[in-house]
Amino acid sequence: MSAQVPYGKVALYPGCALDGMAKQYEVSLALVAKDLGLTYERLDDYNCCGALEVKNVNTMAGLLLPARNLALARKIGADAIMSACPGCHYSLSRAQYYLSKYPKLREKVNAYLEKMGEIKYDLQLMTIHVNEFLYNSVGIEVIKSKVKRPLTGLKVAPYYGCLYTRPKPYTLTGYLRLKDDPERPVFMDKLLEALGAEVVPFEAKTMCCGGPHVYSDPDVSINLEARILKEARRNGAEILVVDCPLGGVAIESNMNKIAERYGEDLRMPVVYFTQLMAFAFGHSPEEAMLTANLTNPMSVLKRYL
Amino acid sequence: MPIPELEKSIIKGVIQKDKVVIDGIELDGTWNSFMIERTQTGYDPSVWDEIANTLEGVTISACWQCGTCTSGCTMREYDPKYGPRRFIDLARKGDKQGLIELQNSIWRCVSCQKCTHRCPKGVLVEEVVHAIHNYLLRHGLVSTDPGTVFDELFFETVMNNGGRISELMLGAASVKKGMVKMGLKDLITMTGPLLRSGLFKELMKPSKVKNWEKIREVIEEAMKEEVRPE
Ligand code: SF4
Ligand code: SF4
Repeated sequence: MSAQVPYGKVALYPGCALDGMAKQYEVSLALVAKDLGLTYERLDDYNCCGALEVKNVNTMAGLLLPARNLALARKIGADAIMSACPGCHYSLSRAQYYLSKYPKLREKVNAYLEKMGEIKYDLQLMTIHVNEFLYNSVGIEVIKSKVKRPLTGLKVAPYYGCLYTRPKPYTLTGYLRLKDDPERPVFMDKLLEALGAEVVPFEAKTMCCGGPHVYSDPDVSINLEARILKEARRNGAEILVVDCPLGGVAIESNMNKIAERYGEDLRMPVVYFTQLMAFAFGHSPEEAMLTANLTNPMSVLKRYL
Repeated sequence: MPIPELEKSIIKGVIQKDKVVIDGIELDGTWNSFMIERTQTGYDPSVWDEIANTLEGVTISACWQCGTCTSGCTMREYDPKYGPRRFIDLARKGDKQGLIELQNSIWRCVSCQKCTHRCPKGVLVEEVVHAIHNYLLRHGLVSTDPGTVFDELFFETVMNNGGRISELMLGAASVKKGMVKMGLKDLITMTGPLLRSGLFKELMKPSKVKNWEKIREVIEEAMKEEVRPE
């Protein structure tokens, strides 16, 4: 496959989530990309991006961790680095911002990268999220043409999370046409509609799940997550579709506590949008790893088998 | 350097005398009350300087106190004492005491980035809030909070496990530190699908970055470096 418009060569930054509890996200992304004729190269020797935590512990460590990944992507000649986890997307974009803005800092970081045995980072990457990649690369018509199992009548609530669009100084949302609307993102909505699903009005699209404090401020996180599910329920959604492993895993693993505290009716299956795409493109539930989720998406999807 | 304190009650107290006589005439009613000082002293202007000199805090000076950040803040809804605009105000005035009084709130930022995203002045608000909190921690003005404990735990896990984390390892470590409780039901919900899909084994033993020991040394060296916004 030749390099693709509009991103050129794309490197996939898996991040710990895709090698962990969100493995189904990567597996289903690979199926979808193959069906659509899209290619990317996986950065196998990646390290943790530092997420939202390391930057608070030490400034340099918070920049070196993502910077090494940026350098790895340039080493294979990539033009864009793609994350599936908005947390990784944020962290890589943040490093890009600081390194572009402060030349002396960039020199220092590059000196350390060389010490590690990596190449210097030349700032030439665009940081992108899987959502943007799938939406911008082929067009909605092509996606529609691949659907073998239309999800007609499936009521979905698309949850984007905080960091897919925010903050705009890092992610450049609102500045570029290739980027989603910062306050009311729609790329995932459009992808899901292309599958035949019905996207319900959903005001909690970019509301916070309390991610960084799931462990340190658990009551707040559980309440935030309950609010997201409540908004989905209120609008008649049957399933929460996520593009964020931080939010997805947090909501799924807190589901029992949420139901106990705020009502059983908030229980809802959670699924990655790429899993739904793979399923609609005709792949089996096993191939799309729909049974690996902590909740059970097949409970609502089985009627499309 | 006295600065009028606008956020705390301007009238710090009232002196009420039993009997006031001026020029032989006795005052009564409210005329016998006197307000005590309207300004607070003891501000430390070096707080602003130090924060503005950090990479995360440099944009603090651009704030014009409009309150856009606070009005949309996620944490504000849970904790009325939590407010990025106010933290910035206190830090710039150098009101350390005011910040110390808010120590049970200031660590609670969930990094949702609404504030940074919406600030009309380009203040990286979420970063500045952390810069202020880090100032307090660095100078030993506040005690460690659960958020900082978790941040450090996260970093340690990355450093000690070949440059990567796994949710299960992090979860297990947090349970061990007593930060969360996990009931049997949660354990079953968690492990069932993971065992079914074979993910469990991988999660407990995340693969390592090839050259990690060397990289780790470099990171540890770099951490000693002071970083300025330049
Ligand atoms: S939104 Fe920006 S300018 Fe307004 S108070 Fe917050 S930091 Fe200051
Ligand atoms: S990032 Fe922190 S300070 Fe900013 S809006 Fe979110 S919780 Fe509030």
